Amino acid sequence: MSRMNDVGGMSGFAPIVEEPDEPRFHADWEAHVFALNAALVRRGVYNLDEFRDAQERLPVREYLAASYYERWFAAIRMLLAEKGVATAEELTHG
Amino acid sequence: MADRFAPGDRVRTRSVDVAGHTRLPGYARGAVGTVVELAGRHPLADERARGRDAEPHAVYHVRFAAADLFGAGDHSVVVELWEDYLVEERA
Amino acid sequence: MSGEHASSTISAEVRHVESLLEARGLLEPGEIDTRIDEFLAGGSPANGARIVARAWTDPGFAERLLADANAAIREVGLSMAGGIQEQRLKVVANGVGADGTEEHHVVVCTLCSCYPIALLGPSPSWYKSEAYRSRVVRDPRGVLREFGLVLPDSVAISVWDASAESRYMVLPRRPDGTDGLSEEQLAGLVTRKGLIGTAAV
Repeated sequence: MSRMNDVGGMSGFAPIVEEPDEPRFHADWEAHVFALNAALVRRGVYNLDEFRDAQERLPVREYLAASYYERWFAAIRMLLAEKGVATAEELTHG
Repeated sequence: MADRFAPGDRVRTRSVDVAGHTRLPGYARGAVGTVVELAGRHPLADERARGRDAEPHAVYHVRFAAADLFGAGDHSVVVELWEDYLVEERA
Repeated sequence: MSGEHASSTISAEVRHVESLLEARGLLEPGEIDTRIDEFLAGGSPANGARIVARAWTDPGFAERLLADANAAIREVGLSMAGGIQEQRLKVVANGVGADGTEEHHVVVCTLCSCYPIALLGPSPSWYKSEAYRSRVVRDPRGVLREFGLVLPDSVAISVWDASAESRYMVLPRRPDGTDGLSEEQLAGLVTRKGLIGTAAV
């Protein structure tokens, strides 16, 4: 039942690639997702372990296709829906 | 509450493959290692991930020989593990 | 998802969730921008470099740093309290240990991407990648070689997996031939990779 995040010792991932002069965030929305998560944890909407658990519960295919902060945003929306803050539909109509 | 383990103690990790969130990495399941030191006390992540309040439990740095985890390697891996994942390993 | 179209789609979705949360009283207007500004002004590898340079020039500080890093870094005006909650910092020192063996330490989080972000800022993408997380626990010598760090077989490698609540920083070995340098000059030698353990300094 190991989850997709539990990769220690696993083989077959792409080579390690370093990005020279990497910016702290690659787009504004990434910084927003980062700050949004911190704000919701501080407010007690969910805790960090629930946040990690939510990422781990993403469908494996979606998990692997998503970038780092796309996973975060998917987990935030999942938790907001599960906690009854908003419906999944309300959270996806952009 | 007295700590269950002290530096130098040999411990074995849980081998059960749990269904939910856990912080015992798969590669370190069912392995024998040595306690390095106490790393503080915190509510068990497995419980908090279910939204439950939990009492703080001791967390330890535990050193494993890579060969015991992967069958090869001359390095060691230090994993940080809640006492809930550990049982005493008798020599 | 990738590319500009995907990026503008997701930024619209993020803004939508933010305004929904503002409307429901779970976010203050402007709160996200304030948090981003605070965060960008906070952690940086320069903090780690300052700590390392102090440890290289002050053996008493180095000893206190290895015994209780959270207390020691307050001596140089830093803390681990800048994030969501104060986290325990564990500093591990490269060099010759008590038993005469030379040790090299390298840090990973195999289960997610735990990192002393409040102190050092966000981790590099390679640190968060499955490629690094999967391989460094199993073959650190091979991974370090790819980073250009070739360690003799006599050097014992310890990989620290940040699997619980502590966050880790490596104290690199002071390079030879740096006796005449000031603390500030020494700090200038320290890289983020050195603080993770994928570079010598």
